[in-house]
Parts: sequence; C-alpha cells; structure tokens
Amino acid sequence: MYNNELSLKKILTIAKREYHGLFFEKTFVLSVLVQLFIASFSAFLVVGLTSFYDPMALQGMQMKESKIGVIGDTEGEIFRLMEIDDLEPVKYTDFKEAYTDFYERKIDAIINIPDEKPEGNNLINIDIYLPRSELKATIVSLQLKKPLEKLEERVRDIRTIRLDGYKPLNIHIMNWNRSTSSNKLEFIYVALLPLLMFTPALISGGLVIDMITEEFERKTLELLLATPVSFLDVIGGKTLVGITISPIQALAWMLLLRVNGIQIYNFTDILLIVAIVSFILVCVGSIIAVWCKERGTAQLFYSLVLILLFMSSYLYTNSPFNLVSRLALDSIMSVEVFMSIAEYFFIAVMLLWILTKVTKEGTYEGLR
Amino acid sequence: MSGWYTVAKWEFIKSGMKFSRKSIFALLLMLLLLSIICYTVALTDMSQNHKIYTLVTTSPDLKNIICNDERFQTLPEDSRDSDITIVEYNAYLSGTTKSMAAADALEKVLINYREKVLSSYNDINNTHPVWVTLHDLGRPESFQVMEIATKNENQLSNTDNYNLDTGEKYKSDSNTAHSSSTFISAEGIDDPDSNSKILFEKQTVATPSNFTPPIPFTAILYSFLFIFPIYFVSQFYSSSIMEERTNRRCEMLLVAPLKRKEIVLGKTIPYVLVSLILLSIIAMYIKRPSDVQELKTFLAMLSVIFPVLILFLSLSFIAAILSRSFKELTFAMVFFSVIVSAYVFFPAMFANVHTVSSISPMTLMVNLIENREISFDKYIFSTLPFYLVALSLYGFGTAIFREEDLFSQKTIPEKIMDCMEIFLSSPGGSVFVLSIVSIPFVYMFQLMMIVMLFNLPFPYSVITMIILSALAEEIAKSIGIYTIIKRKLKTANLITTGMLSLLAGIGFFFGEKLVSMITLAPIAQSAFGSVMTTGTLFLIPLLLHVITTTVTSMGMYFTSPRYYIFFLLVATGLHTVYNIYLLRGLLFV
Repeated sequence: MYNNELSLKKILTIAKREYHGLFFEKTFVLSVLVQLFIASFSAFLVVGLTSFYDPMALQGMQMKESKIGVIGDTEGEIFRLMEIDDLEPVKYTDFKEAYTDFYERKIDAIINIPDEKPEGNNLINIDIYLPRSELKATIVSLQLKKPLEKLEERVRDIRTIRLDGYKPLNIHIMNWNRSTSSNKLEFIYVALLPLLMFTPALISGGLVIDMITEEFERKTLELLLATPVSFLDVIGGKTLVGITISPIQALAWMLLLRVNGIQIYNFTDILLIVAIVSFILVCVGSIIAVWCKERGTAQLFYSLVLILLFMSSYLYTNSPFNLVSRLALDSIMSVEVFMSIAEYFFIAVMLLWILTKVTKEGTYEGLR
Repeated sequence: MSGWYTVAKWEFIKSGMKFSRKSIFALLLMLLLLSIICYTVALTDMSQNHKIYTLVTTSPDLKNIICNDERFQTLPEDSRDSDITIVEYNAYLSGTTKSMAAADALEKVLINYREKVLSSYNDINNTHPVWVTLHDLGRPESFQVMEIATKNENQLSNTDNYNLDTGEKYKSDSNTAHSSSTFISAEGIDDPDSNSKILFEKQTVATPSNFTPPIPFTAILYSFLFIFPIYFVSQFYSSSIMEERTNRRCEMLLVAPLKRKEIVLGKTIPYVLVSLILLSIIAMYIKRPSDVQELKTFLAMLSVIFPVLILFLSLSFIAAILSRSFKELTFAMVFFSVIVSAYVFFPAMFANVHTVSSISPMTLMVNLIENREISFDKYIFSTLPFYLVALSLYGFGTAIFREEDLFSQKTIPEKIMDCMEIFLSSPGGSVFVLSIVSIPFVYMFQLMMIVMLFNLPFPYSVITMIILSALAEEIAKSIGIYTIIKRKLKTANLITTGMLSLLAGIGFFFGEKLVSMITLAPIAQSAFGSVMTTGTLFLIPLLLHVITTTVTSMGMYFTSPRYYIFFLLVATGLHTVYNIYLLRGLLFV
C-alpha cells in the first residue's frame, strides 16, 4: 500500500527536482521578463495616464498653451481669469467665425460667456465646445476647470451671503507645496505596488497546477509512487517550490522600486504577507489540480477563483492589496497588522489541512 | 474534406467530456458567486485605498466630515505621527510626500462637503450660480498633435510634403463642408447618432466643481471585453494540444489516414467557432444591430477582432508545440498574452491623437464604438501583419506536427530549425522565399518595438529602434543559411554560400519593398515610420542587405556555425551604422 507519512527529506528531494526543471527550461526568465515589461509599462502610466486625469501632475511638465476661442461677453470676469492661467484666449465676434478657425485647427475649443453679473440673480450658463473624441478635449477641459472654479468661488462669495445661516467651512492648509497629487501617490501605492507584489504569487499558483497535472497526464505519478515517496510528499514538494519563489521576486521588486526613489516602509511585514498569500494561492491551486487532474479545467477553475478573490478584495479594509498599500505607506498600527496577518495565516493553515485531506483521499481514489 | 470535420467533431466531444456533472455544477456555482460579488463591488466605489492617510483633529464634526471619505482614518489626539493635524481652522502637514498627497485629498473632501451642504439649500440661483454645458464638435482628424513628427517636419522632406498634402486636402474638405451646409446649429452638430448607447453621448451639464473632463478611454474599456474570451479560449486550445502531446493520444491521430493539415484544421476550427460566438455576443451587447447600418458596424467589429483572435490562437498553437512541459506553456502563454495585449491596447489609447495608434486593430474598434467609419486601407494596414504572421505560424506549426517533434524532448531552437529545414527542403522553398515569408514577422516585431519604445525619451528611442530592427532583419535573412550550413542540407562551398546570401538578401529586399508599398503610408510621417522605410533609394539598400547577409554566412562558412551569433552581431553593427547614417538628419540636429 502507499506510504502516507510526511517526510521533510522526501519533500525537499521533490522540491529540488522541480527547481531544477524550472531553471532548465529557462521559463523563469520569461516570467521575469513579463514582470519587467509590466513595470516599464507602469512607469509610463504613472507619468502619462495619471496626468490626463490630474492637471496638478502636469505642472512642471511642458505643456503647450491651448488656444481657445471666446465669444459673447469678452470683457468680464472669466476672460480675465483665463488670461492668468495657461490658456490663450482669442476673441471672436460670433460663433460662425470661431467655428471656421476651430475646423481648421487654429483653436482647440470655443467658449461662450453669457452677459450676466455676479451680483445678479440669474444663473450664469457657460457653453463650451470641445473637439469630439480627441485627447485635446480632455486637456482643454482640465485647463478650463481652474478658472471656472475660481469664477464659481467668486460668484458664490457674493451670492451665498443671501442664504440663511450658511457659514462656509474654511480650513487653511499650511506649508502645502502641492508637490505630490493624491492621484499619483495612490496610483503608485494602491495600484502598482500591490500588483507587482502579488503577480509572482498568482503565477506560482498556476505553476503548481502545471506541475501536478503534468504528473497525472504523463502517467509519471505511478512511477514516482513506486519509489519510497508518498503522494503527499510529491504534492508537498511541488507546493513548497511554488511558495518560495514568489517572496524572492517580491523582494527584488521592492528593492528596484526603492532604487527608483519610491519609499517603502515595513519591508519584512510586506514580505510576510506576500509569502502567506502565495501560500494560500498555491494551496488553492494544488487542491484544484488534485481534484481536476487535468490542466485545461484546472486552470479555468483557478483563474475563476483568482477573479473571485480579486473582486472580493475590494469589499473590505485590510484585504491583502490594501494591507500592502497601508504598510508601504506606514499608515497602519502594528496591532492591526498583527491581527490581519494572524487571520490570513489561519486561512492558509486551513487550506493546507484541506490539501492534505484531499491528497490522502486522492491517493486511494484517483490513481486508477 | 471530411477529414478535418471528423477531427473537429472529436475535439468537441472530448472537451465536453472533460466536464463531469460535478465540475459543471462547481462551475455554475462559481459563476453565480462571481456575479454576486461583482454586483456588490459595483455598488462600492471600486477602490483599494481604504485608510491610507492619517489625521488628528480635536473637532468631532470635522472628524465625521473627513472620515466619510474611506481614505482617511483618525488617530487618537495624542499621537504624533499623523499626516495631517487640524487645530482650529488650520491644517498642519507632517512634511512628508504622503502628507502632501493627503492635503490634496483633504481639499477634495472639503470641496465635496461644501457642495453637499450647498445642495441642501434648494436655492439654485444662489448656491450653484455657474453652470457649464459641454458640447461635442466634430472636425477632421489630423495626426500632428503632440509628436516628434511635427518637431522634425523640416528635416524630413518627404514628411513635409505629406503634411502639406493632407493640409490642403483638409482645407478643401472644410470649404465643401461650409458651402454645402452653410451653418450647422450647435445642437445639430453634437448629436452623434441618437440611437447609440447613452454612455458615449458626451453632452453634459455641470457646475465647475463637479465638472469632470471627458475621458477618451471609455471605448477602450469596452474593447477590453473582447479580449477576455480570447484569453480563455486560447488557454483551452493550447491546453488541449499540449495534453494530447503529453499523454500521447495524438499518436493515434497521426497514424490515422489523415493529412497533417486536416488534423490541425480540425483541432482549430471548433475553438475559432466557439470564440466567434462569444465575441458576437459581446459585440451584440455593445451595439445591438437593429438596422442595416448597425449590422454593418456589428460585422465590422467582428472582422476587426478576428485577426487578433487568429493571432492569439496561432501563438498558442506554436507555443503548445514548442514547449516541453505545462509550465513552459503557461509562461509562454502569459508572455505572449502580455505582449500582444500591450501591442493591441497601448496604441489604441492614442486613438484620434497620434499616428502610432493606427498600427493596432483596437483603434479601429474604438472608432467603431464611437460610431465612426473605418476605411478599408486602414483595416488592411493594421490587420495584415496579424493575418500574415498567424498564417505563417500555422504553416510552420503544421510542418513540425509530426511524431519526432511532438513526442520528443528536443530543445526549442532545434524545433525551430526543424521548421526551417522542412520549409527549405520542400518544393518551392528556398532562402529567397524564406526571406520573403519572414518579412511579416520582422515587420510585426518592429511595430511592437514602436509600441514599447514609445515611452523612452526621443533620441534614445529611435536609436534603440534602429539597432533592434537591424538585428531582427539580420536574423530573418541569415536563419535559413544557418540551418543549411548547420544541418548540411547542401554541400557548402564558397560559391553556393555566396549565392545563398545573394538570394536571401534580394528576397528580403523584395519583400520589404512590397510591404512598404502596401501598408506603410499611414505612419510614414512619424519618425518611427522613417526608420522602417529607410532608403527610398533603390540600389544601396539592396546592396546593404546582400552585404550584411554575406558577412554572416561567409563568417560561418570559414569558421563554423558555432560562431553564428558573433557574425550576426557584426552584420547588425554594419546595418545599424548604415541606418544611422541615413537618418543622421533626424538624430543629430
């Protein structure tokens, strides 16, 4: 009968064999390449895309002044506000004239300012005409936002006095140099960093599925079990490989980010979380693989589980993603960290227990 | 004819058998769970940024206001290391980068609060006195908004001409537009097609504080939907082929009285059909065709996504044949998916903005979703490389779809050389034809380089591009000759080696000119484009291609094929020097 005892030495032997395979096939290189690619790509995203959504990020970056055609009341408040900011207003007498220049790309937007006074009682309706589905439309409207907000503020200063018991809440932010916008910081710490930290763990889970289903499909498992190793040793060894390779990659990423001037606090805590999460994912992968015994379906289930876990991580504070962001920013108390780590560790242990159970059953059932 | 049909039927039945009743149940349960979670997540504001900023304040009112935003958490009053400390009406920052970002977030929170309080007054003339109405105005596209091409207009004479041409065309366009419909009312202009989805109708009214800029990426988010079924299906497809290789079931097929072509076709067609069905469902979801015009758009969407699907499948096919284990296959698939997705989506983000966008079929998809017309030559330009590469990958894959390659532990380079050997020894196969066949690969590689180097600063990106494309071209030309010498397909003497290099060089030159004639016009005015079409002169590039190939092959002839890489690099160096010399006007101003 099959040997069912766990033996560390045997597990290590299996693990060594798998490591050897990984490096022999140079697949590891491919995976590192993919991650590098994601990183270089995100480097572009950091400066590029966030700046589209955030005019603050564009300060310091060279940006061409947008020419804007102005019709209507060209003497009033807005016109003066636009001249202060990085816009170049051009006066036109009517819409048709402005539209001709717009069509020929001499100006990028047309703005119609109505003849209303801030002290008046009527709404001030401003019409803005932007080029359809051009990036320029986004840029121009970002540039217009500031003068428009100033205008609103000024008109409100006059008109809100008429309101009953309204007291504006003004908080002065001291020594604020507007060097970093919240969007940019959140992109780096909330999107990029967790993504880089957990990509190796995701790949590890898929890798373990491949390692296990391959033994089933090649029918090499029988051969392996004829030696003094048990099925549990085989699974254990493969799982071990999956778990250990991801924290190493995560560490490399953090060092690389640090070289790039991104400050990351709590290195060891983050590594611990990455290790536990990859433990969880690898266990999930192994359970699915032992259950399905066939690569196509196993990978399908695994990717569905991944999407499921990813989506549910949006639902609560201190999900692994959130935890890594908060740790890297040093915005979390150590008690909270300890609690969450304990929680995830408990889940990991539970999954390991399920894995050993499934494996032991599989020893008798699955190997026909 | 019926051969592939039988194989296809088997493939269908086999993949059906994979799912036991238990696993179908599990699958359905999973999908149900997934939809529930997606629904709940959609109700939240989809962010992972809970409690990343810390704050200390004495006022409980303020605490309530600010902590409504999930990004903030308050610390006890005596704690010292918070990002923001609010005393009375002053907020003090701790001075770190994070605290600057926190201040930015705080400002937004306060603005939101102000808007909320003011809205409760119900006195719109005094609380929200300023309103902004956004209208969309159409105007002809022009691809010179923010690129190198404009900067270098003066250095490239042909570019200049091109721009002038288009400029004039636009002018005449605009004149006709004005004469035909003398004046279009603003409302008339910004009404796109009234029966399109509401999502893309952009006319909006807002107050300045609530005014968000139009985001040009909504259409891209939609086109992302198309890629998911392709991922899943190609995953299954490659798995199926790899499985039959590992459990050797494929051997039965090979000994059956079927042609290899039929087997490959039969194994592929079911997956193509399934994904086409999935893709049409998605296209239907995005645009439900109700009249002839919309049916045309619907079909155009499918024809735009089809080459992407075929490319994905061909890559999975070749990856499944080349790789030695499931692990290798997984990595290869991840690698290809990431690269191809980047190639497809990154340029599409610049749709309507930059020339580079036209190399991706997804740009056409974005245009279709935005209810624009796409022209046939743009379709050919962006999809032809996909079709050609997919076709030749299938060709090579089918060639080595035989026992000795499927069921052995040959290394990947050896398998690739097998492809070359079969190609060269087949009737009609020669280094001349091989060079021509390799053109789409080189071309696609170069386009991919454009995508990847796009974010490097200007002179470096073009120089890297020159070096890498020279390398790609040299590999394409010499790989056949390398195979011939290594595998001793022909008795190698000085004259045959020379003849081979001559043929390979001419073949490549011929193919290159063909490609540039058909397709390159749309991006010719960008600096990257000019790297790819170097030399409108005729004889010198021909000479160059022949000479560099001769360097590699003679080098191998006189020493041994082991030094292939070394001579390849020498040839690349030569090629690079020539290209840099040609583009000196562009690089050193």
